[in-house]
Amino acid sequence: MKLSRRECLELGALGAAGIAVGGCARVANHFAEHHRDAALPAGEVDETTRLVNRLTFGPRPGDVAAAKKLGQVAYVESLLKPDDKEDLRLQFLLNRLDVFQMDPYETQDIPENEVMRQLQQSAILRATYGQHQLRERMVDFWTNHFNIYGRKGLAAFRKAADETTVIRKHALDTFPNLLKASAHSPAMLIFLDNQGNVAGRPNENYAREIMELHTMGVKSGYTQKDVQEVARCFTGWVVERRFLRHRWAFRFDEELHDNGVKHVLGQTIPAGGGQKDAETVLEILSAHPATAHFISKKICDYFLGTDGDKWLGRTEKTYLATKGDIPAMLRPILTSCELIESPQILKRPFDYLVSALRSLDADTDGGSALQEHLVKMGEPLYQWPMPDGYPTKTSAWTGSMLPRWNFAYALSSGQIGGTGVDWGRLQHDGEAEKMFELTHARRASANDRELVRKVAEEFNQGDDGVVGAGFLCIASPSFQWR
Amino acid sequence: MWRPSRRGLLTTAAFGLAGWAGKNSALADLAITTKGKEKPHDVLVTIFLRGGADGLNSVVPYAEDDYYRNRPNLSIAPPSDKRANASARIVDLNGFFGFHPALTPLVPFYREGKLAIVHACGSQDGTRSHFQAMAAVERGLAAEGPGPASGWIARHLASTERTEDSPLRAVAFGGTLPDSLRGAANTVALESLTDFQLQAPEAKRKHYQEALLGLYETGNDEVAHAGQETLAVLDTLHKIDPAQYKPSNQAKYPDTDLGRGLRQTACLIRANLGLEVAALDRGGWDTHYAQGSTVGILSLSLDDLGKSLAAFATDMGTEMSHVTVVVMTEFGRRVAENSGLGTDHGRASFMFLMGGGARGGQIHAHWPGLESHQLDETGDLRVTTDYRDVLAEVLKTRMRNEDLSSVFVNYTPKPVGLVAGI
Repeated sequence: MKLSRRECLELGALGAAGIAVGGCARVANHFAEHHRDAALPAGEVDETTRLVNRLTFGPRPGDVAAAKKLGQVAYVESLLKPDDKEDLRLQFLLNRLDVFQMDPYETQDIPENEVMRQLQQSAILRATYGQHQLRERMVDFWTNHFNIYGRKGLAAFRKAADETTVIRKHALDTFPNLLKASAHSPAMLIFLDNQGNVAGRPNENYAREIMELHTMGVKSGYTQKDVQEVARCFTGWVVERRFLRHRWAFRFDEELHDNGVKHVLGQTIPAGGGQKDAETVLEILSAHPATAHFISKKICDYFLGTDGDKWLGRTEKTYLATKGDIPAMLRPILTSCELIESPQILKRPFDYLVSALRSLDADTDGGSALQEHLVKMGEPLYQWPMPDGYPTKTSAWTGSMLPRWNFAYALSSGQIGGTGVDWGRLQHDGEAEKMFELTHARRASANDRELVRKVAEEFNQGDDGVVGAGFLCIASPSFQWR
Repeated sequence: MWRPSRRGLLTTAAFGLAGWAGKNSALADLAITTKGKEKPHDVLVTIFLRGGADGLNSVVPYAEDDYYRNRPNLSIAPPSDKRANASARIVDLNGFFGFHPALTPLVPFYREGKLAIVHACGSQDGTRSHFQAMAAVERGLAAEGPGPASGWIARHLASTERTEDSPLRAVAFGGTLPDSLRGAANTVALESLTDFQLQAPEAKRKHYQEALLGLYETGNDEVAHAGQETLAVLDTLHKIDPAQYKPSNQAKYPDTDLGRGLRQTACLIRANLGLEVAALDRGGWDTHYAQGSTVGILSLSLDDLGKSLAAFATDMGTEMSHVTVVVMTEFGRRVAENSGLGTDHGRASFMFLMGGGARGGQIHAHWPGLESHQLDETGDLRVTTDYRDVLAEVLKTRMRNEDLSSVFVNYTPKPVGLVAGI
């Protein structure tokens, strides 16, 4: 049975109005009967809560109600077409981050640790306060897809520009535009050693990773020879270093370029093409069916987890039909039943941290005290040394539960400098059920009984009970998943 | 008083895994058979050099003219080259191979027969992709492809499981668990032993741990299992005070991730908590650029590796006879240098074995040679020893694993002869 969620929703609307659950839930019930393990963890999960959890960094108080009011389809559409207006508080906080205001070359005057701090601060602030949550999720996705390790060479000083002009600018654009921007990004060229890729002695690093990790995926039909030929095409793609020029801008250096004829994936790139050689490579890679497959697979898995393959075929076709239009690829996935019904997806530490801040409407500067928790949980931003980005496998993260609990306690008890939760302002009234609803953005179900019971015990401890109550909600197993 | 029942936890975990594995095909691969086996055995310490460590500039075949021909800028002066500063020359090991000078701290261990070297070894994975090659090696396969999804260490642990096992059978230092431990029970990743406790007021700690146990023991997914294991480990580590750990024999660990990881490994081993495997990583070996010869990225990495290993072996002293250290990487690097004073992805590299029954002072290599006709089609050193032969010998002789076919599926390891029995 294949129903788009749009169809599900229509079916739901046709059916009894007033029943809180729509078409998807009916499919879910059907699922639960036949494959108990494949469905959600037993217990009712509010559809809109799930939707908001899957598409954003987690609901803030009021988000689920607002999405309900808008209707699910309209909500998804609003996320797909972000305007450029940003929250004033966020703009104010971001304006203080020098690395995003200065020319990359000038940022060298700032100590590297400060640069890394500001980069992470920006990511945390935007994910926490950003109005356009789907774009923020896609920024997270593409940041890992085009991963750059900030601690290699001087990459940190170049990453802010990469973030702004590559990842953020094209997060919801087309994949070919994004790829092209990345290939011209000094941060990427430096990180993957293209600076040393010159005629006669090519450096294969970027050539290999652009095919293996950025576009086609490994074992998708290219050979070692293709890697070497692509490397030749990219010879001379370097970073400006000459005096009195725009230093650290992209530069094509004719002198370093191998101008011979090349053969890439069965296509001949004639001699004498100069910079056009690699531009052609980018076009070949962008249009390659293996790229459509690889990019689609990653996007589907990102939103649908283990059910990703159910939408893979359709997303691939959309990629090819729309020349890699990212919103066009996303739309069917985001309106699919699977988005709500697929098995739960583990929050990575960054997701977990931000979702906690959002659910408790925390005030944060995103600064080093908070970032320290990301280090301990295993996901300091821009610090995964390999070019493949942080792992998405659940098993990579389950070894570090304790740092999550420690973060939950520090947040709840107000021990993170620059980050605070105002328990007095939040609606919990010292009641366990309400504390659950605040943190989980839904009513407690039968499965949540133990948590509610423990939270009630904390509240019974007296004045300080809210700390333990909040801690247990954020540290609970159910808060680890989206 | 809070005392999580160890058996209770194990039972939950066992139920969980079985229920879990039976129903989902991807996870079913993680289902592992368990059999009780006799102990004691060594503690296995694995150090994975991530990024593809250059075997040719680490354990240098300096007697090969083609080494110097292929690396005009990166090669290191031979031991007899009086024009070079003594500290910038290769340290001879056996007249053919020699150490990069940054590995000098390991020379005494080699000479005393405590360090064995394997060269021209690796997997059969020819993709030259870090991720494919690492996945192959960590899953214990010939090459990345079909096969069990779990890691080779996880399968080793499962095939030697006993009811009285420690909750902390294996530890990984770092924020994430490596793939070699994928599917392993009783395993945690930790950054630092001293930080490994619930950071709540001491008076509240037990209360909160009990509350968490209540929340996590009812669950039946990966997070619930992980939470249960973490709580059991907290209870175990409660018995030691890592901040007070003093290395023996004046051992001085470098203040690096690897140095700190090995120091904490030593602390855990000394504490007798039943630790069986420690998995450590050391990144930074992907030296496409600025690898250098005696000055450069590789030199700094080798310096850290040599000093850390030497400190660990010194610290462990005679207890090193119950520890086996294996150093490995996903692949070696191209024989010819590139234009950026670096090297691109290649094939064969090296492994180190220390402690336990390592038959040290020798270099095991079916040396394929560096002449152009001896290299593979891309210009890489050929793999003549399968990395699984080395690991299998360690598991069999030092870790008492009699069920190697469940660790290295569809593979019959060949004897290497580098490891003496317990």
